[in-house]
Amino acid sequence: MLDKNRIRLMTKMAQYEKSLAPEDLKISSYYKKDYASMNTLITVIWITIGYALAAGLVVLCNVDALLKDLTMTKMFIIIAVAVGAYIILLVVYCVCASSFYKSKHNKAKQRVKMYYRDLSRLGKMYMKEKN
Amino acid sequence: MSTLLVWKEQLQKIYAKYSTYIMKALQFVLGLCVFGLINSNIGFMKAASSILCTVGLSVVCAFLPLVVMVIAATVLVLLHFYALSMPIALVSLVIFLIMYIFYFRFTPKKAWLVVLTPVAFALKVPFVIPVAFGLLGTPIWVLPAAFGTIAYYMIHFVKVSSSAYKGADAKSLVEGLMAFTKQSLNNKEMWVMVLAVSISILLVYAIRTRSIDHSWKIASAVGAVAAIVVGTAGNIAMNVHLSYVLLTVSGVAAMLAGLILEFLFFSVNYARTERMQFEDDEYYYYVKAVPKVGVSAPEVSVKHINERKEQADSQETVVIDSQDVKQAVEVKKRPPQKRRPAPKPRNQVRKVDHARAADEILLTRSLTRELGLENLEDELNK
Repeated sequence: MLDKNRIRLMTKMAQYEKSLAPEDLKISSYYKKDYASMNTLITVIWITIGYALAAGLVVLCNVDALLKDLTMTKMFIIIAVAVGAYIILLVVYCVCASSFYKSKHNKAKQRVKMYYRDLSRLGKMYMKEKN
Repeated sequence: MSTLLVWKEQLQKIYAKYSTYIMKALQFVLGLCVFGLINSNIGFMKAASSILCTVGLSVVCAFLPLVVMVIAATVLVLLHFYALSMPIALVSLVIFLIMYIFYFRFTPKKAWLVVLTPVAFALKVPFVIPVAFGLLGTPIWVLPAAFGTIAYYMIHFVKVSSSAYKGADAKSLVEGLMAFTKQSLNNKEMWVMVLAVSISILLVYAIRTRSIDHSWKIASAVGAVAAIVVGTAGNIAMNVHLSYVLLTVSGVAAMLAGLILEFLFFSVNYARTERMQFEDDEYYYYVKAVPKVGVSAPEVSVKHINERKEQADSQETVVIDSQDVKQAVEVKKRPPQKRRPAPKPRNQVRKVDHARAADEILLTRSLTRELGLENLEDELNK
């Protein structure tokens, strides 16, 4: 016999399985700290590449001004500014990425927990119907 | 206003019923706008700039996630740039990569926002974007708006100065690379617009999230005015040639867009605002409750009152029984007898117009009194 509550539950679960479940199950297979650290590390690599590209564009854009009257002191100052900017950017992005991925892990874990709870509820419903 | 609310309700119902088709249609229209604008402005590669390609890409992208449209638009732009000049394509690729690395890696599902900004710029209403993003989004939406502005100005710059970069050979590759990078990144107009859009989004968001009355209207107006002011200041201070007509028209369009968005997503009745104050063991609470305006769309029900008549009319020949005719004649000859009214079925619900019935009763009573019929009725009853 058709049970409205069971159909509702199954629809909700099927919707979740179709949309977010694959990624959530993958995320929740990691510990929170591991997941956040791994993704922050990947972010560091991407930010380094991005910064190098952006710096390359800026250098290409101002190559005349940079090479004009170039001395050792000027070069050191330019390198120091570039490294300083890189470190600031890296710290900002690492902090943001860490909190972003931690919250992402939390949300995924919560959804997976709900999904398993719904799954057990569904099992109980079937058992009840059989008895 | 109530008519508009009813329309809104009906629109919501239609959307709920056909949301899949409506979303696909909207995606298709957005695809047509994006690919059409790209091909009409920088259609340097003949094969990719045909109408067939525009429509085909739009159709394909309508059935795929929106992020695919962003990727397709990026690839199309790069193809056109490559057809024009290698250095331009290289620099553009680097700029798109930077955009991906710093923002889209984190929220790929919001990547389509970056597509909307160049479309708004191309339609000459750029300030609609900061108002709409500020009203519906979060401060992080500054990034897609800024990237979209940069992408638009990059395309615009290539369109304007395409002849200068045509057919660059290997020798002039580095020179072209440097020249394009310098000119595209030192575009003052672009940075003024990036600043105007960013400041406007932040202002709109900051005001919209306050608990003041008419916060959405105030936010739209302030956002539009701020964008116009920043644009004008850029014109004066940095010697940029932004059209004042464009700025004003865009600002007015932004305010109108704000009003429409408020009507669609935040229709509340400030006249019925309630303020409450209460406390528990740990906190005092000052609550402001603003009721939503809700109008239920009237449901049209068609009642067929001539159904039976039609059935009777449809019969061409009526068979009359002679016995029935005789009985009818006898009934007519008999004196009229008082008949008990047939009992009404209990479950049948009758619709009664109470106001009309009350009027009729009052009229009957007053007439009875005036004509002195009360006594007569009593006698008849006896």
